[in-house]
Amino acid sequence: MKKNAYLLMVVPAVLLYTVFVAYPFISSIFLSFFDWPGIGPKKYVGLANYKTILFGYMQPEFLRSITHNAIFFVWSWILSILPGLFFAFCLYAGLKGTNLFKVIFFFPNVISIVVVGFLFSLLLNPQWGLINALLKAVGLKAWAKPWLGEIKYAFPTIIGVTQWRGLGFYILVFLAAMIGVNKDEVEAARLDGASEFRIGWSIIVPHLLPTIMTLTILKFIWTFNIFDIVYAMEGSQGGPAGSTDVLGTLFYRIAFGGLGSSEVGMGLGAAVVTIIFAVVFPVSLLYVFIIDRRMEGKA
Amino acid sequence: MKKFAAAALLALSLLSFAAAEDKVTIWGWRPQDADLWTKVQSAMQAQGTKVTIDYKTYLATEYDSKLFVSLQSGSGPDIFYTRRLPSASRTQALIDGKYIVPLNGKVNLKNFTDVTLSFISENGKTWGVPFANQVIGIFYNSDLFKKYNLKEPSTWPELLQVCETLKKNGVTPIFASNKDAWTLAMQNAMVSVSYPGEAWLGKLTKGQAKFTDPEYVEMLTALNDLKKYYQEGFSANSAAEQDVAFSMGQAGMVFGGIFQNSNWLKTNPDFKFGYFPVPSKTKAVTPKVYVYMDGSYGLYSGSKNQAAALKVLNFAATPAFGKIFSETTGEITAMKGVAMPASKPFLQECYQYANTQASAYRYWVGSPFDAGKPSVYDLLSENMQSMYLGVLTPVDFAKKIQDGVSTWYPAFKK
Repeated sequence: MKKNAYLLMVVPAVLLYTVFVAYPFISSIFLSFFDWPGIGPKKYVGLANYKTILFGYMQPEFLRSITHNAIFFVWSWILSILPGLFFAFCLYAGLKGTNLFKVIFFFPNVISIVVVGFLFSLLLNPQWGLINALLKAVGLKAWAKPWLGEIKYAFPTIIGVTQWRGLGFYILVFLAAMIGVNKDEVEAARLDGASEFRIGWSIIVPHLLPTIMTLTILKFIWTFNIFDIVYAMEGSQGGPAGSTDVLGTLFYRIAFGGLGSSEVGMGLGAAVVTIIFAVVFPVSLLYVFIIDRRMEGKA
Repeated sequence: MKKFAAAALLALSLLSFAAAEDKVTIWGWRPQDADLWTKVQSAMQAQGTKVTIDYKTYLATEYDSKLFVSLQSGSGPDIFYTRRLPSASRTQALIDGKYIVPLNGKVNLKNFTDVTLSFISENGKTWGVPFANQVIGIFYNSDLFKKYNLKEPSTWPELLQVCETLKKNGVTPIFASNKDAWTLAMQNAMVSVSYPGEAWLGKLTKGQAKFTDPEYVEMLTALNDLKKYYQEGFSANSAAEQDVAFSMGQAGMVFGGIFQNSNWLKTNPDFKFGYFPVPSKTKAVTPKVYVYMDGSYGLYSGSKNQAAALKVLNFAATPAFGKIFSETTGEITAMKGVAMPASKPFLQECYQYANTQASAYRYWVGSPFDAGKPSVYDLLSENMQSMYLGVLTPVDFAKKIQDGVSTWYPAFKK
């Protein structure tokens, strides 16, 4: 009995995991093989939902959405990892007011992403929004655009807003990793006359590579699950003209319908979710593998 | 003493049973109806019907999911709001799952027109008591029209003339809400009943006309050309922003629905506005009005309180209810023969239009074109945005709709 007592201790966690993660996950895969509007009898359709999404009338919307997720990932990587590294270096170098800057950088992170989306929708309003008003006030009227209404501006705007909110997180993670760098190495390099840039590039960056890899994988997973910011700023249609549509909004539209769409299909929606899982799962495995390797390395 | 206590207990339990029997729970997606049900309860009680109504409201986008879960677990409300047929596959699912009761013979529906009932009927069975008819078209700022001596236009050239006058005087002629794609689908649909017109729509419905016909492409071109009269940056404005701008006098007109009037009056209680149907191309075609039934009250098959629920539904089918509905919500009751409140002349006008000039054919909500996938609704929403943004020509737009609908619409597949 004593030997297996630890099993009892994991029961609560296993129960919670089963009810809130495993069951919904397995049931959604199961549901993806049915035509079901959310109530009443389910009709088994085999792989028809996947066929509709990958090769049928949903294909253009699906390809567009997944491409947007990929673009979102690339740009959000560039706009968060690189500035994150830069500002972390600045803070690591011990500039004046470092603590204040840490607070300033991290502050947007404590605001809910939906609230951020709502606030920026107001700020970006073409008639009475603060951003266009400022641009006009400083003589840049030509730069005042309907940011969330034009195809070429809407998606970059959403990516920019998301990165504005998340940047502080990357700075703090990089800063924490930099603090872990052996100070003797840095001091020795300084004594040898190495420039700060050289120290950063040759000593600190190599130390940060595992962190960069971890953040890149996490960013990939988060990006392919993105929904809230697009929904808050452009609604479930991912407008204008689908230019901000991502897999999350596509799923929402299909599964729940609502204003602006007559599509309602839990089975079809579950198939989209399963495809998202198929994209994210291998990357998640890679993440777990890398973390394991790092833990082993430290052990 | 024991006998007395037992008798008292029995009486109490009978009383509580009776009280529970008369309590009717109603679920809906319209928060503006809370006062309505309070007034209905008072009116029914004044007539001697002992009934209490408990109305719960949920976000429109979450309503169906919550209702479905509760119905399947057997804990659903006695009465629930249902969406119209045939486009609402959710209502069809309730019928298929036997969660909703047909009301034929249970509720007297003589106060509704056949057209209104057709939105919630199928194979001779009626599945709900309709509550509102929505009228969509062009609403205008009465003060601005008066100030610039403008008259309600009845042809498209006259509409352009009104726009031109407003623009010359520094007033935004039309405030558009292009960020919300559904409003563009609605705009397209309301224009179609007058331009190219009801007769063409009739042919389209029967498969004798196509979206790629010159008449339809011409309509799309006319709409696209209208954007020069929209506000600067119109592509990024939402329906909520349109409501505020219009009611605060920042624009002369909007393409909208009567359902928006409560928002306008909430923002500006002194706001005065009028309505006219979308003008036709020429005087030879009579402008029509896009009217659709907005929703109805359905009866849950698992209700343990059906007798009381039916009393409420029967009351909801009387002109007395229609009057309370329109006075309280500021919307048009789905019933015929109800006097609209004198304090709301715009309601009287729209109600009159709904009963005399409604188009018999349509391709947006409540139409056969909304019963399959991809629906005209979905195709219009996104492609209207594309056309206004200049990435899709009216010709390509028309082809996209035709190609999309042709994949499933029976009359196009022949």
